[in-house]
Amino acid sequence: MKDEQHMTEQESLQVISTMIAKAKQSYHETGYGPLLWGIVISFCSLVTWGQMHYGFSLPFDIWFLAFIAVIPTIIMSVREQRKKKVHSYDDTAMSYTWTVFGVSMFILIFINMQVGELVNHLKSAVENLGAERPKVYFSDYNSAYMMMLYGIPTVISAGIKKFRPMLFGGIFCWVGAITALYTSREIDMLLMAASAIFAWLIPGIVLFRKYIRKKRQQHV
Amino acid sequence: MFKDLDPILHSQLRLAVVSLLIGVKEAEFTFIREKTNSTAGNLSVQLQKLKEAGYIEIKKQFKDNYPQTLCSITPKGIDAFEKYVNDLQSYLKIGTL
Repeated sequence: MKDEQHMTEQESLQVISTMIAKAKQSYHETGYGPLLWGIVISFCSLVTWGQMHYGFSLPFDIWFLAFIAVIPTIIMSVREQRKKKVHSYDDTAMSYTWTVFGVSMFILIFINMQVGELVNHLKSAVENLGAERPKVYFSDYNSAYMMMLYGIPTVISAGIKKFRPMLFGGIFCWVGAITALYTSREIDMLLMAASAIFAWLIPGIVLFRKYIRKKRQQHV
Repeated sequence: MFKDLDPILHSQLRLAVVSLLIGVKEAEFTFIREKTNSTAGNLSVQLQKLKEAGYIEIKKQFKDNYPQTLCSITPKGIDAFEKYVNDLQSYLKIGTL
């Protein structure tokens, strides 16, 4: 490309549109993150459902997998950032959105544990007064909170990336959150699994396939 | 005909660089060179001119023990680009009358 070259208006417009298109083409989403979390959360939910439905129990809490999955997520994210030669504004927005979600998730789990304990104390107090122990479990509402939270970053990401599959997935999470208030814990787990599949696993597969296709085209 | 167009931007390579940077937060020197099909020497000179005009910011740092040059557009650069596009549009309108 020459520097001090006289350009016509058409040539100027051509340069602008070509460069904007080139910049757009340089972004790629691997889909690794949504794929990983879609698999982990749906698997944990289905195993929890299995434990309730078939009455078996594992020697450990299956949800520890979600804590462990944070490690590969951070590694993948750092690697992707290092590989990138160009950083978009979308990247920053996405990064903030999912970091906020991750932190909020841990805070919510902590709050739920504290409130759950408090509810148990109250139930014991009622029992000590001679009344029947209330058959209300605070944990019945855990899934509703979780799905409500799952929907937030998913819909925001869908908006930033203009990616419809994630938008449908995010809305599914919110519908699941409301539904979970009226269903049993077993059904709640199935709703959680479905939310993770629709919000992350399916969009992750779509993104991953797009990424592979793009990579192949670049190597042709 | 193009007398009033910003002379800093009315150069193929500089316009290409600014058009590339307008939609991104920051881009590496190698990325810009690759996308503009320019030589490192020529690109360095043009980037320097854009920097002197206050249209872009150049950040030099180290990444994995290798020097890395990152470029980003400034608010002044965005304004200049918008004005350039508007001027261009007005010329096109005159041309079609």
